[in-house]
Amino acid sequence: MIALATFRVAAYVRSHRVHQALLLMLALLAIVYGSPAPLGEEVAVAADGAALTVPVLAWASRSLLDTEPDGQRAMSAVLVGGRVREIAAGLMAAFAACLVLAGLAACWALLLGASALPAGAALPSVLLLYVLGALTGTVLGALTSRASVASPALSIMALVLAVIVMLLVSASRVYWLTVPLLAWSRAAHDGLLLDRLPWLVLPALLWCAIGILLYARRRLRRAQ
Amino acid sequence: MRLSQVSFRYGRRGPTVIGEADAGLAPGDVIELSGPNGAGKSTLLRLLAGLAEPSAGAITGRPAVVGFAPDRFPTGQPFTVTAYLRHMARVRGGARWEPWAERLGMEHLLRLPLGELSKGSAHKVGLVQAIMSDPGLLVLDEPFAGLDTATSAALPGIAAEVAARGGVVVASDHQGGLRGLPGLRQWSLVDGHLKEGAPAGGHVTERGAGQVTVAVTLPVEDLPAFLTGMREQGYPTREIEETP
Repeated sequence: MIALATFRVAAYVRSHRVHQALLLMLALLAIVYGSPAPLGEEVAVAADGAALTVPVLAWASRSLLDTEPDGQRAMSAVLVGGRVREIAAGLMAAFAACLVLAGLAACWALLLGASALPAGAALPSVLLLYVLGALTGTVLGALTSRASVASPALSIMALVLAVIVMLLVSASRVYWLTVPLLAWSRAAHDGLLLDRLPWLVLPALLWCAIGILLYARRRLRRAQ
Repeated sequence: MRLSQVSFRYGRRGPTVIGEADAGLAPGDVIELSGPNGAGKSTLLRLLAGLAEPSAGAITGRPAVVGFAPDRFPTGQPFTVTAYLRHMARVRGGARWEPWAERLGMEHLLRLPLGELSKGSAHKVGLVQAIMSDPGLLVLDEPFAGLDTATSAALPGIAAEVAARGGVVVASDHQGGLRGLPGLRQWSLVDGHLKEGAPAGGHVTERGAGQVTVAVTLPVEDLPAFLTGMREQGYPTREIEETP
């Protein structure tokens, strides 16, 4: 399965599709972190970055999964021993790509976006948000990839709509219904990230788990 | 391996593509699957390979290692032949692809990008990835389409070797490339129904004295009417190749 995931990442890189997400990410980071934030705001700006990069990560995940032709996907499933393993390898590859891009964003935010590094437990908390952002992007991209939504027009509209809905819901009182991207930012700006962290992480994990199950179910049904 | 009352339809309300197929496959079997275009041959092969689940019935006893070569190899991938086959070998746990590439006469293709391959050359890449790991079940969709003479001649021997190791080979084939193999089983699929044996009047298996075989090139849309007309006149007729 790891070999298949490696194959898919290699295809993503060699096809140059990775450049689209990379350039988009660099442009976003350059705009958001044009000048370092003053002391005391390092956790807030890093949390903002974790939320803002999710659409780019979703694009990257979708793009990676769409790199593989449908015929190759079928051959890969036979090679690796079944559809479930092929689906898992695809998700693994997408998550790895998103993790690298999220790592870049985290490094930029922490080293260039603020005047100091977050102190104590705030640093791992912020890094956790970036990992959750990568996972969220992976799932969003998978749910809107060609294997899930055959029409490219519908697929891209679904991706944009999903991100908008996620942002709107995460800014509302029922933020726990989705990945609470804007609630992360708000908690960080209020200095309450550490206190609220479990309640910000749990809905994100739950949403991603449900998303992965829906993706797998749809993929297995479309294989019928 | 056994197919028990296997039926398949696309979606819940789609038409039945395969209807109550019942068959057994024993180690060492080489099976030629024939039938007209659209009869469901590729669907049956996908079911056998485990790429689709039956809508009803069950397929049991599928070998752990399956090789699958599609009728059209997907060349739109950013790899050279060597890089692609290396990746596939790693996915197969370190299988050796080099001897198979040599056997299929692919040395001159190894450095080429997949996108630059001809149909036949791409088909060879698909065959190598399918057979490199000594499959217990080898599923080949139109394996002879576009192949050069040397590779077409080598392929029955490869199928026989897989069978000799106790594997099962199932190939859909319009061209009768496996007919020289002793003990070849023939399956025919007509209107979604699987039968043991060649379709009635559908194959030319032997040419008697005083008979000749002719090749006719015609537009693809005229093919059904042409075949029907020839059969109505009593000539055993079959489709050999469709040029896209």
